[in-house]
Amino acid sequence: MRIKPRIVDVFVRISLNLQAFFTVGILAVIVAIIFIKGSPYINLEFIISSPQDMGRHGGIFSTIVGTILLVLLSIFLATPLGVGTAIFLTEYTKESVFTKVIRFGVESLAGIPSILFGLFGFIFFVTKLKMGWSLLAGVLTTTIMILPTIIRTSEEAIKAVPRSLRIVSYSLSATKWETVKKVVLPSAAPGILTGVMLSVGRAVGETAAIIFTMGSSLRMPLSLMDSGRTMAVHFYILAREGISMENAYATALILVLSILSINILAYYIMNRVISKFS
Amino acid sequence: MIKDYALSTSKLNLYYGKFYALKEVNFHVPKKAITALIGPSGCGKSTLLRCFNRMNDLIEDVRIEGDIFVNRQRIEEIDIIELRKKIGMVFQRPNPFPFSVYENMVYGLQIHGMNNRKKNHEIVERSLRAVGLWDELKDRLSAPALSLSEEMKQRLCIARVLTVEPEIILLDEPCSALDPIATMRVEELMIELKRDYTILIVTHNMQQAARVSDYTGFMLLGELVEFGETSQIFTSPKDSRTEGYITGRFG
Repeated sequence: MRIKPRIVDVFVRISLNLQAFFTVGILAVIVAIIFIKGSPYINLEFIISSPQDMGRHGGIFSTIVGTILLVLLSIFLATPLGVGTAIFLTEYTKESVFTKVIRFGVESLAGIPSILFGLFGFIFFVTKLKMGWSLLAGVLTTTIMILPTIIRTSEEAIKAVPRSLRIVSYSLSATKWETVKKVVLPSAAPGILTGVMLSVGRAVGETAAIIFTMGSSLRMPLSLMDSGRTMAVHFYILAREGISMENAYATALILVLSILSINILAYYIMNRVISKFS
Repeated sequence: MIKDYALSTSKLNLYYGKFYALKEVNFHVPKKAITALIGPSGCGKSTLLRCFNRMNDLIEDVRIEGDIFVNRQRIEEIDIIELRKKIGMVFQRPNPFPFSVYENMVYGLQIHGMNNRKKNHEIVERSLRAVGLWDELKDRLSAPALSLSEEMKQRLCIARVLTVEPEIILLDEPCSALDPIATMRVEELMIELKRDYTILIVTHNMQQAARVSDYTGFMLLGELVEFGETSQIFTSPKDSRTEGYITGRFG
């Protein structure tokens, strides 16, 4: 017996609605649990004072600083490298075996579990290059880890810029670089920014690769060669070693809130950029 | 045809890969006049137009034989940046950059290293006046160019070309995306511009060629079949193929 198309349509609509609701629901439940368990322990004191007694008491200031330093430095390193690679792949080379190899490499890098990046960073940066557990080793490892995301999203964004805009730029006697700099990159900026934000999220939430390379010192990282701890690592250690579930949840809540505010900020910037262009 | 030539070709052959797109073309564009290229689609008229600012260089697998002259100088001897400064181009579809009106207008100026704000503003005003957009846009220079109507976009594109003071303007079917009234206004603009500029226009619209141009070339299957004063081409064509096309027997 054939089911009436109209009934199928209603069924599909309901099930798609449920699926969307389910996705948002999971997010809501996670945030709610963290909020309920973490919010009683959060106050200004918790944010601006340093951890004491392994994090059982005191605040999480040094881990906030560690997180910010790690993420900012990695993004500053990875963005020019990644966008540069994307420009090279899309604008400066023709499709060839060479570009296919690079693309294959990028895709493979994107699929590698982060613990392997950690292991590599530990063997190469920490041991071989004698950096020790340090902010520098963490930054370099994180940079390698987030590069593929930035390259792929930038490449897609650059490819989406209409060819006609490049042609008209050439016809106005611009060179290739002037065209890339003044037409292609500004038009691709929202897409590139999306990739950068995804990478920020990944770097903020990373634990395994960072424990291996940046270590987990609770002291304030004051130089590139100091070890340090990020909020995600702090949360992991507090919970894993049963040091203080209260402070673990409080840290998690601050982590979630900062990721949320970064996303809102990025969304805002993106809308500003897009409205300028259309 | 006593006038001096701004552009000319001699025994020009062009291939896209194996496709023979332009065949032994000898073509001349007189200075400070409007020259039109007509012919059915795929006849090579846009390809010929794009030879003069070397836009065909951007396409892979293009091979060009024969000579192209700009102001009696061989095109290979001219620096490509200088060439494209001297020869502006307006495309079929209006293609302003997705930036503000003002940023569109100063794009060419900035490319040529002109960053004097006051001077640039004067040039923007003069160029927008030349295309009849100044009064409408003077208070909206920071508006996004993509928010303009199709006709205004195309006028903006013409004005953008004028900012760098070219000698020659190539128009590649500039009215095909416009409605009849907008087309008429752009045609009037072309006639005004020919006082100062040499204009070469490709059009699939024979009436348009008859209305605006001083000289007309008829192309068919990569050949320049006939070239002469527009009135002669449309009233007493010498070649039977030209006659067949303008009387509507094909095309």
